Amino acid sequence: MLVLQGIVDGILAGGLYALMGSGLTLVFGVMEVINFAQGIIVVLGAYLTYVFSTHIGVDPLVTLLITIPIMFALGYGVYALLLRPIKRDRVIMSLLVMYAVAVVIEGCLDIIFGGTLVQVHAAYSTSSIHVAGLEFSDLYLLAFGLSAVLLAVLYVILYRTKFGRSLRATTQNPTAAKLVGIDVDRVSATTLGIGVGLGAAGGMLFGMTESFNASSSYDLISRLLVIVILGGFGSVWGAMVAAIIMLVVEDVVAVVWSPVWGQTVFYLVLAAVLMFRPQGLFGRLAVRAQ
Amino acid sequence: MLVFEGVFAGYGGGDILRGVDLVVEEGSLTCVVGPNGAGKSTLMKLVSGLLHPRVGRLEFKGRSIARATPRQIVKQGIVQVMQARNLFPELTVRENVELGAFLVSDGEVVRRRYAEVCEMFPIVGERAKDRAGSLSGGQQRMVEFARALMTDPVLVTLDEPSMGLEPRAAKIIYDSIVSMHRAGRSILLVEQNVRAGLERATHGVVMEAGRVRLEGTGADVLANPQMRALYLGGTIEEGRVASSTGVGAGAAAPPGAP
Repeated sequence: MLVLQGIVDGILAGGLYALMGSGLTLVFGVMEVINFAQGIIVVLGAYLTYVFSTHIGVDPLVTLLITIPIMFALGYGVYALLLRPIKRDRVIMSLLVMYAVAVVIEGCLDIIFGGTLVQVHAAYSTSSIHVAGLEFSDLYLLAFGLSAVLLAVLYVILYRTKFGRSLRATTQNPTAAKLVGIDVDRVSATTLGIGVGLGAAGGMLFGMTESFNASSSYDLISRLLVIVILGGFGSVWGAMVAAIIMLVVEDVVAVVWSPVWGQTVFYLVLAAVLMFRPQGLFGRLAVRAQ
Repeated sequence: MLVFEGVFAGYGGGDILRGVDLVVEEGSLTCVVGPNGAGKSTLMKLVSGLLHPRVGRLEFKGRSIARATPRQIVKQGIVQVMQARNLFPELTVRENVELGAFLVSDGEVVRRRYAEVCEMFPIVGERAKDRAGSLSGGQQRMVEFARALMTDPVLVTLDEPSMGLEPRAAKIIYDSIVSMHRAGRSILLVEQNVRAGLERATHGVVMEAGRVRLEGTGADVLANPQMRALYLGGTIEEGRVASSTGVGAGAAAPPGAP
């Protein structure tokens, strides 16, 4: 029963990490930009939720109506002002730029909020339901459900809209995309906006499930990068599967052995997968046609 | 219709094109040939807006396109089929072709044009739901042509369309080019396959070292002794061609016909 509980907990928490990781992998797929700032963006989303819910009294869920547009604009602006002008050594330069963005945001959050750990609270934060001897935290059910809804929206955008088609085309061949009239810069800016917006939504849920400060971003980004590597850079589906694998492995190991070994066992699983599939579970060896 | 005048362009490490003067007339099938490094692909990048001239005039229908983006150029009626295979491999054939009409907002127009290109290139309809990456090289070229025609372009530019194709597939590709031309479209074709390109061209152009060296009808250029010296191995060993025309004999490339 403990193992089953570990699997349930892992799947529910995995949904949240899938949401946070999907933004990272989506951005890489389109722009080949490793958004090193995704961790601090999640934390920024958590802080925005914290401010709106704690100081203004808005329900954390409702804050998404405010935070997602704000974070979308942030992502769009970062691309337009900082990434678009890069003409050479794009992968390395964009990594450095996003690292700089992360450092600046972290510094600002440190100045404003200090190092004290905070957490977002709501009425449903501590309640849970029991089914067949298993405990389902209301908060994690909410996190999983909201992640599923947002990822479904992302799916609809990617596969059922003209923008989604242009985004998938840009992912596969940016030069050919330009030659059919797609504004690749606009697609890229919008994609970074979506990625950062997904980070904000993940931040709201992260802030409710964990206590955090600005330094929490380092643990987050390392976990998100590992998820994206296991799933395959550029694959949104891969990120979802990898997030669930990571959290299930950690939670099951925690209950049958020790929480201390959770991450270690997961990294062994990761190494084993990469030996046979260096491109990750759903990645392509050649990400782009050119 | 398309005018290059004194065009210099390159990639930052010096100019590849060094004073190109060239006119592509409306309704023509203009074929540009030349040895590797002559600047043919650079010329095509200028026409598509992927590269801009450093110096010189580049106009389409009397309007400068020297600084235009690829999107603006597509809007003006110029489409390009690039040198390498350039489909979106994970998208279906139908999605690829419909993306050719990305700038067309009228869904009815897109459906009508899709039906037209399916008629012209049956492979599009037959493999509509398949991943484009699963098609053979020749089939992918057909789909690229179909995608290019979705904008109902005035000028179609083709960069070495037969490259990498076996002779039978290359012949089908050339027949398609001639069909597009007969349907009233202007064609600007860059080819390594000199004979196949010039035989079908109404206008032939030879480039070498970033400049236009020779022009005329396709047949005249192909028959020109200097041209033969450069490409067909006839009199190149005499060296007189190189000295009298400035054409580098050492850069000669073997001809081939589909």
